[in-house]
Parts: sequence; C-alpha cells; structure tokens
Amino acid sequence: MPSEQTPRPAGDGRRLPRIRVPRYLAAALGMLAGLGAYVVHISNAFSYLSDDPAACVNCHIMGSYYASHAHSSHKGAATCNDCHVPHTGVFAKYAFKARDGLYHASVFTLRGEPQAMMIKEAGANVVQANCVRCHGRLNEIVAPGAPVTLAGKLHGEGHLCWDCHRDVPHGTVRSISSAPDAIVPYPESAMPAWLRAARGESPSPLPR
Amino acid sequence: MKKRPLPGWLVFAASLVVTFALGLLASSIMERRAEALQVNTPLAAIKPFESRNSAWGDAYPRQYGTLRDTRDMSFTPPVVGAHGLDALGENPRQVILWAGYAFAKDYNHPRGHAYAVEDVRNTLRTGAPMKLGEGPQPASCWVCKSPDVPRLMNELGIDEFYKRKWSDLGGEVTNHIGCADCHDPKTMKLSITRPHLAIGYKAATGRDISTASHQEMRTLACAQCHVEYYFDKTAVPGGQVVTLPWKHGFTVEAAEKYYDEAGFTDFVNPISKAPIIKAQHPDYELWQMGIHGQRGVSCADCHMPYTTDGSQKFSSHHVQSPLADPGKSCQVCHRQNAGELLRNVTERQTKIADMLARIEQQLVHAHFEAKAAWDAGATGDEMKPVLQLIRQSQWRWDFVAASHGASFHAPLECARILDDGLARAGEARLALARILARHGQLDPVALPDLSTKEKAQSHLGLDIASERAAKAEFIRTVVPQWLRQARENGTLDENAL
Repeated sequence: MPSEQTPRPAGDGRRLPRIRVPRYLAAALGMLAGLGAYVVHISNAFSYLSDDPAACVNCHIMGSYYASHAHSSHKGAATCNDCHVPHTGVFAKYAFKARDGLYHASVFTLRGEPQAMMIKEAGANVVQANCVRCHGRLNEIVAPGAPVTLAGKLHGEGHLCWDCHRDVPHGTVRSISSAPDAIVPYPESAMPAWLRAARGESPSPLPR
Repeated sequence: MKKRPLPGWLVFAASLVVTFALGLLASSIMERRAEALQVNTPLAAIKPFESRNSAWGDAYPRQYGTLRDTRDMSFTPPVVGAHGLDALGENPRQVILWAGYAFAKDYNHPRGHAYAVEDVRNTLRTGAPMKLGEGPQPASCWVCKSPDVPRLMNELGIDEFYKRKWSDLGGEVTNHIGCADCHDPKTMKLSITRPHLAIGYKAATGRDISTASHQEMRTLACAQCHVEYYFDKTAVPGGQVVTLPWKHGFTVEAAEKYYDEAGFTDFVNPISKAPIIKAQHPDYELWQMGIHGQRGVSCADCHMPYTTDGSQKFSSHHVQSPLADPGKSCQVCHRQNAGELLRNVTERQTKIADMLARIEQQLVHAHFEAKAAWDAGATGDEMKPVLQLIRQSQWRWDFVAASHGASFHAPLECARILDDGLARAGEARLALARILARHGQLDPVALPDLSTKEKAQSHLGLDIASERAAKAEFIRTVVPQWLRQARENGTLDENAL
C-alpha cells in the first residue's frame, strides 16, 4: 500500500517540537510529571500562593490556630500572612513563605509536630515587625526607638508586643488539640465532586 | 542504547527512586488529610464494674495504650523522686522518724499506676501472710490500688469490705489502677468510685460531690486517692474505714485539729514515746493552696495533658511528672522555653527539699533527746508538752514530705508549714534541754550512727533480713495462688500480663 504520508513543512505550529528522547525515558518522565501533578493537586499547592487563611489549614494541626484567629479581633483586619510573613517586598515575602512552609510541611509529614508550637526567632521578628507595621501610630507613643527583635528582648532591649498582649490573637491556652472540633475549612476531598456524585456520595465529606 | 546500557539503567533507577518517594509523599498527604476526618467512636461495649483494663482498652485503645505507658519509668524528675529507688536508703533519717511504724522497714519512691498492685504486694509493710486472714494489714490497703475495689465494695457491701484483712482479698484484687476507678462504663463520664471522697468532700465543703463540674472532676477523680486519710476503727465494728480528716477544712492545722479531737495517733515512736500522726500524700489539699489550684488548673491539665493521635484529641493516660514533657503541659499556657520552665520548677522544689532536710535533722535530735530525758528520769508530766511539740512538728514535716508534688504545687504553703514545724522542733529541743539540765545532764545528747538505712534499722532492732526472706517466700508461693484464683473468677486481665 503506497504511503499516504506527506512530510509536513518544518515550522508547522501544530507539530510538537522535535527533541530526541528515547521512548522509555519519555514514559518515565511522563509518569513522574503525572505523579508530581497529583501531589500538587492533593497538597493544594497553588493555595500557598494566596493569602487565604484556609491555605494554612491544609495541615489540620493548624485548625485550632485558625479557629482562635477566626474568633479574634484581628479576624477582619489581618490574615495569617499579614502577621506571619514579612511585608518588605514580594521576593522577601515568598522566600520566607517557601522556607517556613517547607519546614512546616517536613515536620508535619514526619509527625514531628509538638503539642504546643512555639514560634522561632525568625518568625517572632517577622510578627513583631508586622505589629509595628499596622500599629505604627500607637508605637510612636508607646515604643519609640529602634525596632525590637527577639534577640534584643532577650538582652533586655525592650519588649515584644505579645509579652503583654499575651492573648492576641490566639488566646492564652494554645495547643494543636485546644479546639479539636472547631469548624474549620479543612481541604475538600481530593476526589472531584462529579466523581463523588456519580458514586452517590455527598459532595464534601465535611460538615459545612 | 544497546552499546551503552549504563545511562539507561541509571535513568531507570533514578526515576524509580523519585517515583517511589513521590508516592510515599502522596500517600502521607492523603493519610494526613484523611485523619482530620476521623471520628472517635467506642469500638466495644463495657460491662458494669469491669475491672480488667484491657476490656476497656478494646473500646478506647488510645487511652488504654497510654495507661500502659505508666510502666515506663525511664524519666526521673530532677528533685522529687528517683523512681524504683529505696527512699529510706537515700534518707535514713526517716527510719528514726517512723520508728515503731511499718514505714521504717520499707519505703520506696513512687512508681506509675501500672505498678500499684505489684508494689503493694512487694513492700515489707504488708508483711507475708501465708494464709487467708493473716498479716498485719486490713483490706483498706487495697482501696487505692485497683478497679477491683469498687467491684468488691459492690459485691460485698462497703462495711463488709472494710472488715476483711488485706490477705483475704489478694485473689480478688489483681488489676492495677485503671479505667473503672474514674470512669462510668456506659457514658465514660468521670465518676467517683470511692465512698470516702464523697463523704469527706461533703464534710469539707457542704457540697454534694455529684454537683461538681467536669473541670472539678478532672481533679476530684485523682483526689479519690491523692489525699490525706486515716483508717477509722470506730465507724464499723471490726473494720478499718478509709476516712478523710476534712471536717474542719483542708489545711494542715485543720487535719491536726480533727485528729486531736478524735484522739487519733498512728503510732508511738519508741525512742521518744511521742504519739505521731503519719501523713499520707495530701496532694489534693496542697494543690488547692498553690497558684495553679487557685486558678482552676486541674490535675489532668498537667499530669494527663491533651494530646493528639493524628487529629484525634484525647487525654494522655500516661500519668507522670509533667516535667517529662513540658511541651505538652506547661507550654500550652506558658510561652517560655522548656529549659527555663524546668529551672523554675526545680528551683522551688530544691528550696523546699532543703527545708525538709533541716527539719528532719532537728526532729532526729529531738527524738533522741527525749529518750535521754526519759532515761535521766524525766516524768510523764514533764514530757507531755514536749512530746506534743514533737508530734506537731513531725506532722508538719510529713505533710509536706509525703506530698511529693507539693513543693511545686504550693511552695509558699509548704514553706509556711515547714517554718512552723521547724519552730516547734526548736521549742521542743529547748524544753528538752531544760528537762535534761533539771535531771543533771548538761552535755549534748549524742546521736547513734545513722549514716545508712541498715545502721538506723539495726539500731531499732528491726530484723529486715528475715522479713525479706518471708516476703520472698510469700511472693513465690502465695501470689501465684492469688493469680490462679483471679483467673478462675474471670477477673484476671490475661491481656495485661
């Protein structure tokens, strides 16, 4: 049978770029990419680009912190990111978020989380700077002078805002089990809603 | 490719490893997402008065698993308690203070709830009863050791229970402190299973204990045992009823007034002839006098901290010193670092421990000076006020010493009690110096060599070696009979052995 194929002209836009990759390698890379995309999907990875506090409860151990924030005076005024990541520039913000996030995700994956989480030095300095960022006028009166850091405080150079405002915003009793039954927007099922519906299941496994 | 197979295999291996790792990560993410949705449902039904802890464990595996962890004695609190160690050996002065009482024979540092039955069988204080009805102790000694006790009180009746000897019930009481001691088997609500607490609480506060809130119950469940008590021999003829001396309140003075009014004395110290009250771990009383108690922090808040298994919140039933893991208890409220919190606790405890040692030293002198006074010909009338001062001083010392945690729970109250006790020991010694002088003895009274427990015990004429031999024989022959009896009754917890 004579071949019907005619060579397509080079540079045809509908044609995939010609990269010389052995088929088995392409298959392996394809599997990796697929599995990678699945991990991105189930971990809600894109949510981390946003400032939505719901992104933080992708890990359920953040539930009681989400709940205490949601019932605090800061709820309408500040998101998690307003306090917990630096606002000195887009690069600083995402670099800090990525570093903190990877650390958190690693500890959570390895089940290394403590009952009462304690803020670390870098985080404390960021939160303190953010208190001053929003409450600047107040701080001109009550805390003039150089900005306070955790290291500075430990050397007796001033106090951090929450040394006195101990309950802001998460309350005085804090642990990952302090509010286990709070209604918190945990991630939806990883199964698409149409598939759950096709199986006769409710669209979401969580009470809303 | 056929010519160069190596890069191909490397790509294969690398993608295998990466895929495997990504798969693990994916399943971990899914697992962590799924556990947020789990609901805590009991997995089995529990019979009324079920004393086998593992039967409850079938329904509540997390709580039971942590209760089993009370066997773990690997953590030693820095100041209070060197687990499993011989407390008399560490501090032989106690042998003199408790002379004439079983505590002078054997007294150990406390161990976890899982050892409750084992330890009371093993101590020399319970003797070596080879037959039913033998031995020095009443059934009252079982009261705080086991969930078999509420079962037996229900079967025998409370009065009848208290008429038995300790050895009568050895085949019945085999399960260590556990579920049925504190929980209702149907609703899991905290419940009071020991009559003495309900009676004592009513006498002290005027309140019916059934009106206590859940947060109060998170302390009162522990107060069933962690209180000052004595065996009242007058309430039930032939019985020794565990009774709390709370009619006048919870303070050391209120309990002393109760005992004085009742004319109660645990034992007479044969050295000084002073009538002594032995204090029994007044933990609940002293906890109330510290800042945590006054702010409503319960026993369970620190000693059974909330913990999570996945996202399931439950109370750890691994009751132990919170210092083993300050991150679970202290730091939930206190944002200081763990090292600083630990220093704050040990500083308070060390200071109280120093005061205890000072008053012990004074009391040991007082007992021997009283003996010297009797030997020099002092009369009962001369000695009576002195012996009363020794009783009062030693009661104050013991009240603090016996409550292991009090030096942290209520350090100021402990210091106040010890200060008063030290002053009374000083008054006693001053009076003794006068009596001795009156009878012609001006030289200081020398103490015997009390540098070890063995020397102190042999000074009292105690034959510990033969008591140990009898105990070993008892453990070899009688305890297996008890276990056999429990197995036949179906009350032995085979799964917990």
